[in-house]
Amino acid sequence: MRKRRAFAALIVASGLAIAACGGGDGGGTTGEESGGKSASSDGIVDGGTLHILDISEGATNLDPQRIYTGADLGFLGSTIQRTLTSYKYAAGVEGSELVADLATDTGTASNDAKTWEFTLRDGVTFEDGSPIECKDIRYGVSRTWASDVTGDEGPLFALSFIDAPEDYPGPFTATEEQQAGFNEAIECSEDGKTVTFNLRESVGDFNFTVALLAFGPVPEDQDTGDQYTLKPVSSGPFKIESYEQGKELVMVRNENWNKDSDPVREPHLDKIIWHFGLDETVIDERMIADEGDDQATIVYGVIQPQNLQTIFGDDKFKDRRTDGFDGFVSYTMVNMKTVNCAEIRRAIWLALDRDALRTAGGGPFTGEYAKGFINPRLGADYEEADLPEGLNEDGTPNVEAAQAEMDKAKENPDCADAYKRATETGLTRDHADSELWQKLIAIWIDSMDKIGIKIIDNPIEPSKYYATINETPGDLMSAGWAADWNNASTVIPPLFIKDGGFAYNYTWEDPEYDGFKALVDAAKVETDREKQGDMWKELNQWLVDRVWNIPGLYTKTQNIVGSRVRNAYQWYQFGWYNVGAIGLTE
Amino acid sequence: MIYFVIRRLLFAVVLLFVVSFFTYVLFTALPTNPAALTCGKNCTPEVIARNEVRLGYDQPIHVQYGRFLKGIFAGRTYGPEGASVHCPAPALGYSFEYHQCVTELITRTFPVTLSVAIGAFVLWMGIGVGLGTLAALRRGRWQDRFATTFSVVGISLPTFFFALLAILVIVIWGGLLDFPQYTGFTENPIKWFSGLLLPWATLAILSASTYVRLTRNGILEVMNEEFVRLGLAKGVKRRTLIVKYVMRAAMVPIVTIAGLDFAALLGGAVITESVFNLPGMGKLSIRAVTDSDLPVLVATTLVAAVLIVVANAVVDILYGFLDPRVREKV
Repeated sequence: MRKRRAFAALIVASGLAIAACGGGDGGGTTGEESGGKSASSDGIVDGGTLHILDISEGATNLDPQRIYTGADLGFLGSTIQRTLTSYKYAAGVEGSELVADLATDTGTASNDAKTWEFTLRDGVTFEDGSPIECKDIRYGVSRTWASDVTGDEGPLFALSFIDAPEDYPGPFTATEEQQAGFNEAIECSEDGKTVTFNLRESVGDFNFTVALLAFGPVPEDQDTGDQYTLKPVSSGPFKIESYEQGKELVMVRNENWNKDSDPVREPHLDKIIWHFGLDETVIDERMIADEGDDQATIVYGVIQPQNLQTIFGDDKFKDRRTDGFDGFVSYTMVNMKTVNCAEIRRAIWLALDRDALRTAGGGPFTGEYAKGFINPRLGADYEEADLPEGLNEDGTPNVEAAQAEMDKAKENPDCADAYKRATETGLTRDHADSELWQKLIAIWIDSMDKIGIKIIDNPIEPSKYYATINETPGDLMSAGWAADWNNASTVIPPLFIKDGGFAYNYTWEDPEYDGFKALVDAAKVETDREKQGDMWKELNQWLVDRVWNIPGLYTKTQNIVGSRVRNAYQWYQFGWYNVGAIGLTE
Repeated sequence: MIYFVIRRLLFAVVLLFVVSFFTYVLFTALPTNPAALTCGKNCTPEVIARNEVRLGYDQPIHVQYGRFLKGIFAGRTYGPEGASVHCPAPALGYSFEYHQCVTELITRTFPVTLSVAIGAFVLWMGIGVGLGTLAALRRGRWQDRFATTFSVVGISLPTFFFALLAILVIVIWGGLLDFPQYTGFTENPIKWFSGLLLPWATLAILSASTYVRLTRNGILEVMNEEFVRLGLAKGVKRRTLIVKYVMRAAMVPIVTIAGLDFAALLGGAVITESVFNLPGMGKLSIRAVTDSDLPVLVATTLVAAVLIVVANAVVDILYGFLDPRVREKV
């Protein structure tokens, strides 16, 4: 899964009231807005400087093996870091189509999709003009294993696919033997043109995996270890000219990149300046005013809640604003070991005042009520699931229906333990501690009280949250997830299969687990994409019926760009702009 | 006098050790785990344990502190062999957030903070002492009422509010200045000056308020002293009396506070630097707090402590010049 970049504010300065934002009028949706003229290519003139405003003091990461947030994968992938495959330059669902990048095609699978082969294009080079060869790809990938340098920030799940020695510690400290073992897992042909990945298991969509920047090339002789993240060697149409944290990062065109060897990227800009450390209130004021260079500006971050009404309430912004899904689904993870009773889980969903929760979080702009665990952006796999009888569309609680489920649970002998725990002991509600959650937990306690369920509040220090619920899961836990690529194979298995990566909820304790797992295994290896999509849809419905987790929201974000910016469409795959495609008008 | 200076210096060194040690201890008492900050959902207990080793937090606190002290004198190498980074002495640590040696970070951000501090200091001392003197000499007249109102307003306004207001009115609505951005003095002195105007004004107007009051009250108090009446009775000119005797006596407490204020400002004007986006030490330390970046946190605390200690010593010496009685005692 992709991490969400923390658009968290510095604790200072931003003191101007973070008002619970507009549209707090309860139900309804805001629909999606795609950005009007700013998302089109109307009137682009090649050249010019794009400015990016950011409240952070610097890039989260520039080291390809450490980049794992959606926005950064798209941004840096489209500008400085090429990979074997990548995604089409297009708005809408077309933008999640896999295309060949450094490789001549999107890869060839053999041996039951346990072996994947990619051939490199002619004429692909790094920014110093030296050719990109198989060894650079292999060296790049190997750095992901070096947790002593790249710090476990990358897509660790992908490592388990590759048949490397169990104890491989990355290229810096590997023994000769370990390195030789690794070199067998990723083989290079004599001429350095062909990369062969030998996998531990069949991975039908491994060619999507290699589109992650962690699979991007790094020249070994220019690796600076921990400091590579300050100035990575570019293989894309831009390169880093200067970078000073707390101030700015300047990208200019890379003369050693040529269009003939790159069918994907279509750069228009001469220069990109990424300004750091700005105050979020100031950013919004500047964007609203739209003066001077701010007309050629995008924001790395979202519109502040208190400005949403101004920007979405006035048509003069309609060609500069976007409002759309960010690819995430938020949900409440349910511990299947302790709440092993579908009736109680359903009762919780029915009785929960989701409307109050959403309003406290910022209203309809924060997202739409999720109908399952697969995001609408996964076009081939998405379908609204049939929701439990009596669940109110507008998010308000249905206490009567919930109580009926509770009564059923009381009668059901299999539910005796869970019922006792819910009504007498109380259910532990884990969440990362925050100001917002202090409000949300009150709504939870109040909602559950109406059907006799006791809630034990368990706020966890945010930086320890996932480690804590992994080790000692509570009964109910907040979580969120986004697909790694356009296939629910990166959603359903990690969330619900034992050792899938993010199943902390003991689904395997459910008597129906084996049947479920068989269906998932079948879907994973299905090669007919349409048929596979239908299988994921069915599994999603299966999960909603049994309420293994409780769906929350398809979360949304709102952005604004300057009036001269074009091609600023939301790139489906990454939930942010395709920065490499952006151009400016005169 | 020399004995006094040596004793003070020794005391200062001990004080700095204590400050650095306590910063270390306090930090480990924080609920945040720096080893869990980067891995997000990858944060399994094994990953966190590996990160602790990478960052050096797996060692007992006295070992960590010992390495830190050694680094200051001998330099230090970080990371595994084959991918290591060396920080030459005086190495205050390596930031895995910035991926840079902390000493480099300090030397890069200090000039920014120094620029902010010097300009603001000159402005606020000028405004504060000038207006305060005027108010005292024209006691009860409109100049006095203006100065008093000014200081009440100045003290009441929160920095972030005033700073944002200044940006909104002068930059965004008025278009009178470009959006403040730091340019090095050696790079372009004019841009340096124009970029710092608003931060200087913000800090100066808000801080001057205190000095207006201090100066006004100080002068009025001294004016009531017997030696002033004696002087007047003996026929010393009023102007000479005020400039040479009254001001000098009234300045003693102001110099004390000004010295410490200036030193504190050199440690980083956190809010002003944040709002005006100046990459100084204040912002550096704030980010170190939010990121649990121990090496940076310890270093910025230490530098701020050094500045305060030095400022204290300077103030003591200045005392001697302003007040001969102090000199005799030493």
